[in-house]
Amino acid sequence: MQSAVPQRSQTFDQAFVDTIIAERTGRPGALLGILQKVQEHQPAQYLPTAVLEYIAAKTAIPLSRIYGVVTFYALFSLEPQGRNSVCICRGTACHTRGSRDLLETAMMSLGLAQGQDGEMEALSVTTADGRTTLRTVACFGQCALAPVVEVNHTIFGHMNERSLLKELGALDQGDLLP
Amino acid sequence: MPSQITVRIDGVLCTATEGQTIFEVAEANGKVIPSLCHMEGVSPAGSCRLCLVEVAGVDRLLPACTTPAQRGMAVTTTSDRLVRHRRLALELMFVERNHVCAVCVSNGHCELQALAMSLGVTYVRYPYNSPRLPVDVSHPRFVLDHNRCILCSRCVRVCDEIEGAHVWDIGGRGIGSRVVAELDQPWGDSQACTSCGKCVQVCPTGALVEKGYGVEEMTRSNSAVARLAMKKGAAS
Ligand code: SF4
Ligand code: FES
Ligand code: FES
Repeated sequence: MQSAVPQRSQTFDQAFVDTIIAERTGRPGALLGILQKVQEHQPAQYLPTAVLEYIAAKTAIPLSRIYGVVTFYALFSLEPQGRNSVCICRGTACHTRGSRDLLETAMMSLGLAQGQDGEMEALSVTTADGRTTLRTVACFGQCALAPVVEVNHTIFGHMNERSLLKELGALDQGDLLP
Repeated sequence: MPSQITVRIDGVLCTATEGQTIFEVAEANGKVIPSLCHMEGVSPAGSCRLCLVEVAGVDRLLPACTTPAQRGMAVTTTSDRLVRHRRLALELMFVERNHVCAVCVSNGHCELQALAMSLGVTYVRYPYNSPRLPVDVSHPRFVLDHNRCILCSRCVRVCDEIEGAHVWDIGGRGIGSRVVAELDQPWGDSQACTSCGKCVQVCPTGALVEKGYGVEEMTRSNSAVARLAMKKGAAS
């Protein structure tokens, strides 16, 4: 039952990209908006190299500049993303409230391998079935609710292992990509 | 026409044109402010923090290369506090990557090394990061060794502003930042690169070098590129 693994396809909706570019060229900071809209429109929520090259050619923005922007902001992804997104805060407040244990719990429960450098680098891993992407952030700005976990764009405060497992369990009922 | 102003640099009254940076005014008046990312003729980046100066009435230190000189400003370009900060900035650069002078083609002709010597940085107080970074030898004439890069972005700016190719940019963030060619591909595969070698000429360290040189053999001509930049500026 591994039918919905996100493929690294290079296809994109050229007409859509054209409209987005047409809407925004000339505006200051247009690139960010273009990339964001295009990524949202991609089935696996990521930016394949073909689309970056297309945007570069259309807007005359250098490829390396586009790559710099895409790799600077955690928002963008060059890899296919899972259907569900789980994001665990590893900021100071959440750390002191036990977010490392939450991260470990999530990794175990999703069957993800622990990276050697998981502490240093921001983490973003997708399960082999393409169902869920697990990420860390440096602070949601909701420290009063620490530890904070975001599941499919909903913020959950005061999480503990039990409530996290409950949310993860609820994910699994969701359908995979069509 | 921009008006003339006077500023005090290390107690000396200097005349400046409004819009000039503190760095430019100091330079025009024969003062040397340490710098690694500044390059004449291209836009300032403010990334190396070596040009920090004290401005009377301002608590924090300001980078001379990006701060415009203002009427009546009193600037101090050297003090114990500044030396402390500059040494710290250098130490952190040494710690971050692998600057092993003894086996570097730029040994003896390196701006990072020269500055460290002039500021008396003979050791660093922090553990080395010792990252494992790749060396890109895919270009037929040049090499990019990430181990020696200090992310000053001079290469990025000369390639964009003078050559007009914009092959380079800085990818990633924080300690994971790297100079990247186009979509982080091997330099040799870059379609935009004209092989002009300007980036190699302006790199302050041994990160961008020409092939065929041994240890201590690589010298460069930063000023040739600066002259080109001036010409281009005058023409446009
Ligand atoms: S490669 Fe050289 S010029 Fe380019 S950012 Fe690194 S140190 Fe600066
Ligand atoms: S540290 Fe987690 S929300 Fe601020
Ligand atoms: S020369 Fe001013 S910050 Fe580098």
